[in-house]
Amino acid sequence: MAARPGSNRRFGPADPPSHRLPPDPMIQVENVSKRYGSHLAVDNVSFSIGEGEIVGFLGPNGAGKSTLLKMICTWLPPSSGKITVCGHDVVTEPLAVRRCLGYLPEHNALYDTMRVDRFLAFMGKMHGLRGGELRDRVTWAVETCALQLVVKKRVNQCSKGFRQRIGLGASLLHDPKVILLDEPTHGLDPLQVVAFRDFILGLREGRAILFSSHILNEVTSISERLLIINRSILLADTPLADLNQRAEDEGTNIERVVLDIVQTRDAVGQPA
Amino acid sequence: MKASTNTLGPGQFVAGVATICGRELSAYFDSAIAYVYTIAFTVLANSIFMNEFFLTGNLDMTGYFDLLPLLLCFFLPAVTMRLWAEERKTRTVELLLTLPIHPLQAAVGKYLAAFGLYKLFLLGSLPIPIMLAALGEPDFGLIASGYLGLLAFGSMFLALGNFLSALSSDQIVAFVVTTVLGFVFVLSGNDQVVAVLDGLAPSLALGTLLYESISVMPHYESFVRGAIELSSVLYFALFSGLFLWANALVLEKNRA
Repeated sequence: MAARPGSNRRFGPADPPSHRLPPDPMIQVENVSKRYGSHLAVDNVSFSIGEGEIVGFLGPNGAGKSTLLKMICTWLPPSSGKITVCGHDVVTEPLAVRRCLGYLPEHNALYDTMRVDRFLAFMGKMHGLRGGELRDRVTWAVETCALQLVVKKRVNQCSKGFRQRIGLGASLLHDPKVILLDEPTHGLDPLQVVAFRDFILGLREGRAILFSSHILNEVTSISERLLIINRSILLADTPLADLNQRAEDEGTNIERVVLDIVQTRDAVGQPA
Repeated sequence: MKASTNTLGPGQFVAGVATICGRELSAYFDSAIAYVYTIAFTVLANSIFMNEFFLTGNLDMTGYFDLLPLLLCFFLPAVTMRLWAEERKTRTVELLLTLPIHPLQAAVGKYLAAFGLYKLFLLGSLPIPIMLAALGEPDFGLIASGYLGLLAFGSMFLALGNFLSALSSDQIVAFVVTTVLGFVFVLSGNDQVVAVLDGLAPSLALGTLLYESISVMPHYESFVRGAIELSSVLYFALFSGLFLWANALVLEKNRA
C-alpha cells in the first residue's frame, strides 16, 4: 500500500500491512472504506490483529471507530475493501463471522423489560447454547461480570455500570475467539474500570480483542498496541512501546505524542 | 482457522425462530400490551356482535365474522407497530441482527409471536359459539371455516404490519401506514367503494380491478361462507410469505 500524503511515516499506515501481519490474523481489515453519500466515514483503513493481542482503538468522537467496528461485526457492509474474521469474509460469510465474534455495541442497547438472567439465557440460546451448557455459561457470565445482585431484576432497573456488565457478559456467553468492545468502559466508575481492565487482560489467551475508546489512559492501560484514527483515516498502527520510546526521545509524554500524530494529519488538510 | 461454517441447518433455523418468538411473546406480556389489547378487542368485538345478535336472532356467527375485518384494521397494526420500530428506536436491532441468525428467522419469530397474541384475541370470542350451542344447533362447520378465515386474514395482516414496522423507527408511523394499507385491502372489496371507483374512471374500471386483484374480502368471504377455495388459500399464503420475505429483505438492506 502506497504511503498516503501527509501520513505519519513513523507510525502510520505507510508500512505495508503484510509487514505487521500476525502469522494467523483473527481480524484482517484490508483497504476498507465506508461512505454515506458524499461523507467518507472510514477511508482506506488496513490492519490485522492476531491471537493473544489486545488492541486499543483510539480516536475522538466521530472519528470512525464505531463505523469500523460495525463493519467488522457484520452490521454494516464496507463500501470497498475486505474484512475477514477468523478467516471468514464479513460480507459473504456473516453467520460464520458472528459465531466466532462477541460484540458490545457503543450504546449497549439491551432488552430493557427482560430479567437479567432471562436476557442472558436468550442471548445464549441465540448462539446455539442449550440445556446444561447454557446454564453453565449463564452462571459463568453472572459470576464473572459480578451480576449476582441484579440477576433477578429487570434490565431497566439496573444502573449504567451493571448494564455495561450485562452487555459484556452477554457478548462473551458463547466463548468467542474475537471480541469487539465499543467504548466498553463508558458509564463505569473508576473501581469498575480497574476491574474491567483486569477482566479483559484475563481473556487475552487464545483470543483477539479490539476495543475502542476516546480516552488515552484507558487504551494504554490495557493494550500493547494502538490504532489511532481521526477524521476517518487510520493515522497510526503502533506498539505502545514505540509511542513510549518516542515520548522518551522527545522528552515529552505519550499524550503529547498522540496529539502530535493527530495534529500532523490535521495540519496537512486531510478531508473531514 | 475455519472453525465454524456460514450455513444454517433446518434445526438451527427453527430453534432461532422459536427463541425469538418466545422473547417477543414475553415482551408482550411483560408490558401491559397483551392484556390491554386482548381485553379491549374482546369487549368491543363481542359487545358489537351481541347487540346485532339480539336484534336479528340468527343462530350463527356471520355477524361476528363480517364485523371483524374493519376492527382488525385497527387492532392488528397496534400489535405489529412495535415489532421492529421499537427495536430500531432502542437500537436493539443491532444487537439482534449481529447474532448468528438469518434476518428471515427474526422476521418469522416476531410474526409468530404476534400471531400468538392474535390467537388470544380470537380465544376471547369463545363464549359466543358456546352460547350458540346452548341456544340451539348452529352449523359448527361454518363457524370453524369462519375462524380459519380469520386466522388467514390475521396471518396476512400481521405479516404486512411486521414488514411495515421494519421500514420505520416510529411506531405511530408504522401504525398509520399499516392501518391505511389494511383499509385498502379491505375496502377494495366493498361493493359501494368498487362502484364509486369504477364511476370515477369507467374505462379503467379501477374498483373492479382492485377487487379482482388485491382485495382481501372475496377470499375472506369464501371462508366465511364455508366454501374454502384453493385460490383463497393461495392468496393468503402468498401475501403472508411475500410480506415476510420483504421484511427479511428490509432488515438485510436497511441497516444504519
